[in-house]
Amino acid sequence: MELETIRKKLDEGIHLNLIKTKKFKTNFISIYFLRPLIREEVTKNALIPMVLKRGTKFNKTSLDIQRRLEELYGLNFSIDVTKKGERQVVRFSIEGPNSDYLPLENFFQQKFKMLTEIITSPLTENNKFLDKYLEQEKQNLEKRIKARINNKKSYAVERCIEEMCKNEKYSIYKYGYVEDLNEIDSKRLYDHYVKILESSPIEINIVGNLEEEEVFETIKNTFEVPRKNVEYIPRENILKDVKTHKRVFEEMDVNQGKLTLGFRTNIPYEEDLFEALLLMSNILGGGPHSKLFINVREKESLAYYIHSKTYKYKSLMIITSGIEFKNFEKALDIIKKQVDEMKKGNFTDDEIEQSKKALITTIEALKDSNYSLSEFLLSQSITKEEKTIEEMVNRVKRIKREEIIEAANRANLDTIYFLKNRNQ
Amino acid sequence: MINNTIKSKKLNEEIIIKELDNGLKIFYMPKQGFTKKYAVFATNYGSNDNKFVPIGENEAIEVPEGIAHFLEHKLFEEPDGNVFNDFSKLGSYVNAYTNFNQTAYLFTCTDKFYDNLKLLVRFVQNPYFTDENVNKEKGIIEQEIRMYEDSPGWKVFFNCLRGMYHNHPVRIDIAGTVESINRITKETLYKCYNTFYHPKNMILFIVGDIDFDKALEIVEKNQREDIENYTGSIKRFYPEEPKEIKNQFMEEKMSISTPLFNIGFKDSDVGYYGDKLLKKQIVTDILHEMLFGESSEFFQKLYDEGLIDNTFGTQYVGNKDYGYSILGGESEKPKVVMEEILNYITKLKNEKLSEEDFNRIKKKFIGYHLMDFNSLEYIANTFIKYYFNNTSLINYLRILQEVDFKDIVERFNSHFTSENYTLSIVCNR
Repeated sequence: MELETIRKKLDEGIHLNLIKTKKFKTNFISIYFLRPLIREEVTKNALIPMVLKRGTKFNKTSLDIQRRLEELYGLNFSIDVTKKGERQVVRFSIEGPNSDYLPLENFFQQKFKMLTEIITSPLTENNKFLDKYLEQEKQNLEKRIKARINNKKSYAVERCIEEMCKNEKYSIYKYGYVEDLNEIDSKRLYDHYVKILESSPIEINIVGNLEEEEVFETIKNTFEVPRKNVEYIPRENILKDVKTHKRVFEEMDVNQGKLTLGFRTNIPYEEDLFEALLLMSNILGGGPHSKLFINVREKESLAYYIHSKTYKYKSLMIITSGIEFKNFEKALDIIKKQVDEMKKGNFTDDEIEQSKKALITTIEALKDSNYSLSEFLLSQSITKEEKTIEEMVNRVKRIKREEIIEAANRANLDTIYFLKNRNQ
Repeated sequence: MINNTIKSKKLNEEIIIKELDNGLKIFYMPKQGFTKKYAVFATNYGSNDNKFVPIGENEAIEVPEGIAHFLEHKLFEEPDGNVFNDFSKLGSYVNAYTNFNQTAYLFTCTDKFYDNLKLLVRFVQNPYFTDENVNKEKGIIEQEIRMYEDSPGWKVFFNCLRGMYHNHPVRIDIAGTVESINRITKETLYKCYNTFYHPKNMILFIVGDIDFDKALEIVEKNQREDIENYTGSIKRFYPEEPKEIKNQFMEEKMSISTPLFNIGFKDSDVGYYGDKLLKKQIVTDILHEMLFGESSEFFQKLYDEGLIDNTFGTQYVGNKDYGYSILGGESEKPKVVMEEILNYITKLKNEKLSEEDFNRIKKKFIGYHLMDFNSLEYIANTFIKYYFNNTSLINYLRILQEVDFKDIVERFNSHFTSENYTLSIVCNR
């Protein structure tokens, strides 16, 4: 079933993407601000949504905001900061039951207004954020940045990418840096906030059982931001010769070693070969049917988890696994051998078919989650693609064996990262 | 064959129920317009069920810790290889999980639902354990256990359970220990399987845009013929558990940034299930939000003082023979947080809870419940959890609406005391 999607330009650099569907019991609204991923502003961008959710002109404390959300049948408000290629994306979302289930008057308007209020009407004094809120959120951000080591699995992946892209913007951590927090005061942060409103590309994504007129009207009457020159973000560089493999060992008090291999795929998402790359990575390490799972886990019992994943915007592929420290060389050999098998074309037609189906299932399942739909539309807008979900599925179906082999041969191993115990 | 339909007008949902002659119950919730189709085949058997009388025997046996989870891994093995492959060929995603009380096998697909369903029913009903494949799995599960050993969130939680419980198996890791899993043999696996994977002890839940009659035919045709019938229920034994907690303080050191804490309040009001249990669950959840939620003065006070941050959260877990509330998060000063909580509880005992807060949070719970029905996975997995507790997801909204302020006050007075808590901390080395 094709979803009805409406894309509309609202102002310079501001777009609405509306998906009309009856299948969800809620309306889901996300507003994204796109920023270049640069050291000068990364920490500030991460901090701003944290400060904004502390209070608005009309709901001056978090307590007031939270109680207002609860009054409206538990509207679910959330923020996050992600890295999409060399962009830092700040997301504000709100979700709540639609009026088919709770017939409140102007329920959609109320939701949209609440979300906009948090973004565009912060509590300020003399054109600054409140010092009290800022200081508290600086501390919270500092904790969050430092908490990166707590999850060893994701830490190992992030560290591998960081080492691999050492001299590229992509190595910048999405939450920023503790040492940059000192510089930030309530005036500087507020000025930066105004700049974000004025100059960021903004995507407003809405999923639900709604009429376009109601949506257009609501946005027109509610979402007012001062606009100046929009700063469009250039596409990231992705091609890089790999001359030597980097090997990075890091020590920590861990019980299990985390082995991570970073590859340059050398295939930009604009190229026709991009889907073949996705398929190649899936055959190699996309699930229990994959070469890595079968050879590292099932045949050798070396790991519980092992998988490979591609990073669309930056054209990377990461293989990661948890193993015994002593099995480092053995696991590495098997992984490298499986990558070579891909390059040599040593995979069966069955493997191709299985992975095609797995990919298609993943793509089609996007349609059942309002959040995933919203993220999908965002990615379309970043890459300026107009492929629908159905077209993507058809492209996957058409991929040929030679293309998979070519994709495998374009990939270069760049960095091997191993997180191990101090005593080993 | 029993045939029944439950409808909820408010949710605009319905569930159709059928029971096969061998005792297996099948539930179907239609979800028109969804692309995905989802099925869960679950048994009322989890890591807590370590002592029982095997089917066809008279004496109770005690089995190695972690065996339910081990069995879950091993069921994927068939004489001609791993069943993962067969699902992969259909492009579907198969998985399983074991918790304290259930083991569930599930798949998601967008195509060929009926072939997937056939595979699911067949592989779960056809165990194939050999000495060799059992031994091979030990290495894999050992790595799974090691992975959890590096997870501070998991550690702080289990230490809290170990602090609260003296004897109950909920204090033991679901996957067992490296030592206990090495004692597992194929013979014991078969004993556990034959006892707990009897159709009478299992349910199948399917959800999506599906032809139910066709699905039913597949399930019926693929039932094992050789299943022994039995009367009565499985005899399970749990050790006597004192109402008091075991240790008030648990601490462990790991490589982390900010210390993590879990504060557990052990529930002394246990021993029943059904709608009464579901009501207790809802009442306690509302109470948590009123006392410690982001809209509470208490949360804001501690947040402003920098004692807690947005990682702070609460949960209540209630089952027939045990229950606990956990409050957890990150803090530089977990002991101060603990003190604040105790003072707060004492102070509230003399003052009153706010009825206004109660009404507002009740509204929020209605909205959240509606939202949950957007997710097929949530519906299926919550349904089975409630079903094995002898109640129903469909009753949730009605029971929620019945909860009144008096229930909340009563629960507050009995559940939160200054005697029945454990503080568990994981801090940096």
